[in-house]
Amino acid sequence: MAVENISVIKLRNLLLVTVPPDPDDQTISALQEQVLQAMAQHECRGLVLDISTVETLDSFFARTIAETVQMVGLMGGRTVLAGMRASVAVTATQLGLTMGKALTALDVDRALELLDSAPSGDGV
Amino acid sequence: MNAASHGEFRIGSESDIVAARKVVRNAATALGFGITDVTRIVTAASELTRNIYHYARSGVMRWRAISRDARLGLELTFEDSGPGIPDVAKAMEAGFTTSKGLGLGLPGAKRLMDEMTVRSQVGKGTTVEVRKWLRK
Repeated sequence: MAVENISVIKLRNLLLVTVPPDPDDQTISALQEQVLQAMAQHECRGLVLDISTVETLDSFFARTIAETVQMVGLMGGRTVLAGMRASVAVTATQLGLTMGKALTALDVDRALELLDSAPSGDGV
Repeated sequence: MNAASHGEFRIGSESDIVAARKVVRNAATALGFGITDVTRIVTAASELTRNIYHYARSGVMRWRAISRDARLGLELTFEDSGPGIPDVAKAMEAGFTTSKGLGLGLPGAKRLMDEMTVRSQVGKGTTVEVRKWLRK
């Protein structure tokens, strides 16, 4: 089974990752690894996870994202979850999911604004 | 479009979790569920399929269109011959898990669906049946 390709884009001092619409567990785990490597490599101060195309957010996905948020935080970065669909937000809340200390934004544009104004490196 | 009213899907690998989601998404959409209910049903199916994969390694998911008092609905049945659940009531508590999961699988799926029944026998297996009704 092929792990879906994920591109981690460095944008000034941030990382931008577009999460695929229906990722399997391996893809989500690979995403976490790639993000942490890129954080270290580029000395980034923040991460934007664009989840605007994500249709299903279940407990495994949520746990891995929450972990990633925490790990990025330990490395001195802030994470913004951008673009969660209304249907996904309703479902995630009913399921009882929490996304750790992630910041949230309506879209990537607002996520970038948020990280520009947020103090960096203040932990999680 | 083929308007099948029931179907079966075998679960045997991790990639089947995503595949099962697709089957359920198509079935729920074809029945006329709105996007939020489709997302609820698909997410519940994802949790229950993952339970089968993690605890029993393999099993089967069946889906069928149902009706009661002129209401239409979707029923999903997840059946495995795995280790079974010693204490179903305990497994229904949020946060309880015997694996490294969040313990949200069963209680979470129950909250997302309208009805749920769990039958389990230690050493024999587990059957989880969930239903969601179309809003009038």
